[in-house]
Amino acid sequence: MRGLEELDHYEILELSRDASFQEIDEAYRILRETYADGSLALYSLFSEGDAVVMRERMEEAYRVLSDLTRRREYDETRRDEKELPPAFDSPALGSPALGPPAAADAAHVDPDLLPLASSPSRDAEIEEPDGGVWDGAALRRARIQSGLELEEIAEITKVGIRTLRQLEDDAFDDLPATVYVRGFVMTYARTIGIDPARVAASYLRRFEESRSEQGRGRFLGRR
Amino acid sequence: MPDQSTIHSNPSPVHAQASAQITPSESARAPRLIAIGGGKGGVGKTFVAANLAVALARLGRRVVALDADLDGANLHTCLGLPSPDVSLADFVAGRTLEPEKLLMQTREANLQVIAGTHANLDTPQPEQNQRVELLRGLRRLAADYVLIDLGAGSQRAVLDYFLVADDGLLILRPEPTSVENAYSFLRAAFYRRLQLGARGYGVREIVSEAMDQRNERGIRTPYDLMREIEALDPVEGRRFMEAMRGFRPRIIVNEARTENDVKLGFSVASVCEKFFGFRADYLGYVNYQKEARDSVRARKALVEYREASEAATYLKRIARKLVDSSEAKTLSS
Repeated sequence: MRGLEELDHYEILELSRDASFQEIDEAYRILRETYADGSLALYSLFSEGDAVVMRERMEEAYRVLSDLTRRREYDETRRDEKELPPAFDSPALGSPALGPPAAADAAHVDPDLLPLASSPSRDAEIEEPDGGVWDGAALRRARIQSGLELEEIAEITKVGIRTLRQLEDDAFDDLPATVYVRGFVMTYARTIGIDPARVAASYLRRFEESRSEQGRGRFLGRR
Repeated sequence: MPDQSTIHSNPSPVHAQASAQITPSESARAPRLIAIGGGKGGVGKTFVAANLAVALARLGRRVVALDADLDGANLHTCLGLPSPDVSLADFVAGRTLEPEKLLMQTREANLQVIAGTHANLDTPQPEQNQRVELLRGLRRLAADYVLIDLGAGSQRAVLDYFLVADDGLLILRPEPTSVENAYSFLRAAFYRRLQLGARGYGVREIVSEAMDQRNERGIRTPYDLMREIEALDPVEGRRFMEAMRGFRPRIIVNEARTENDVKLGFSVASVCEKFFGFRADYLGYVNYQKEARDSVRARKALVEYREASEAATYLKRIARKLVDSSEAKTLSS
């Protein structure tokens, strides 16, 4: 048993080290509600100060773990510190279900217990990503904050769920030509209530950079 | 709400036949004790206990339901039994020392009841040594499960059943009063467990002190408490960690009306882990259904009264989970 300050990002989100992005999202979503202002579950137990600390820890944990690069770096430093066994292997991009579920995990939600598709709470405030860079992870974070499932976005935008996933995973090689991607990102952004033009511009900057690098390395970089 | 047909298949309506086929143990294995508490009165402990008892019996398990709520004993009523001739009160008064003599048969072939009280408005609570005797007696019963319906509150008599049981179910209603009492209950149960396990000089005193929330040492959480103990006695500190690991209440949300009510179970489990430092499982929820009250009026369990209702389906699902988890444990041990 340890205090909040001693828990690592995985423990804060109640996840195993091999948690998939989907599990991270799910855990974050539940905890966000649990530790929100006025949450019934905190009643009489957590002081407002405790809840604030918990929320900060949770946001930071999610910021790191929901981003592939940051997560890898974090895992590396943890491994150096504690000689932990390698846990999170680089996932096949585009597939949210990574590895077998760890049954003992709190975030591993029994599907029986899952409520119906959550109703989007669009009044939720969406945070600006670091340095204003809208990459796939930032999109995903914004989506979770808006309370929308990928399935719901697919339903609303009529953009296929696979493509939406590729957007969130920065799977640039798998995405179609720029003109389409711009359209997808704008629709996506509009649906979750963020500025479409700004988000698309930021996303496409990275997308095109990656494409041109790929182009140099491979003759037929573009599919 | 999910489609009922996908949840699980209903047990055979011919319970007597079913029981003959799937009784898991003919052996003398001790029954599994499941205590059902929740701190607050009126959250549905007795309702859940009665329904799980019937549902488990209909899964072919031999079940004894014990009403430990001596102040407001009415489990027998929920199961359609008349005012009992014998009850736990006889045990407390020393008239009988064998729990099996207190058993009453219900309409369900596999279900027997030990009623809480009868013909005595002032039944005393059993003393600690009597509770130990009673628990010993319960473990000798020829049953697969003994469900103990606890009274409200967090007195020792209530806590000790919860702590000794193999499973402690915590019933919550999605409202602040219930959540508050559930936490006080868990806190008290938790400290009681530590107190019972404490041996080192001075440690018992610290635990007792910590139970008073306005203690001078500034111990607010179990975590603070553990720090204090570790400083005093590292060996004792380790023992406490062990005690915490073994404490794993299972949460049921009763009368859920909204999606947020359903999620409350996850949230409370998370808060238990972050605040108390022990794991809690979310076992399931029972949606609010008017027929639940009607079933109590009809003096039947809902799983009997409206077997196909949504709430009954959720109750059966919880019973199935209890069976699956406890029988998996038995097999692996």
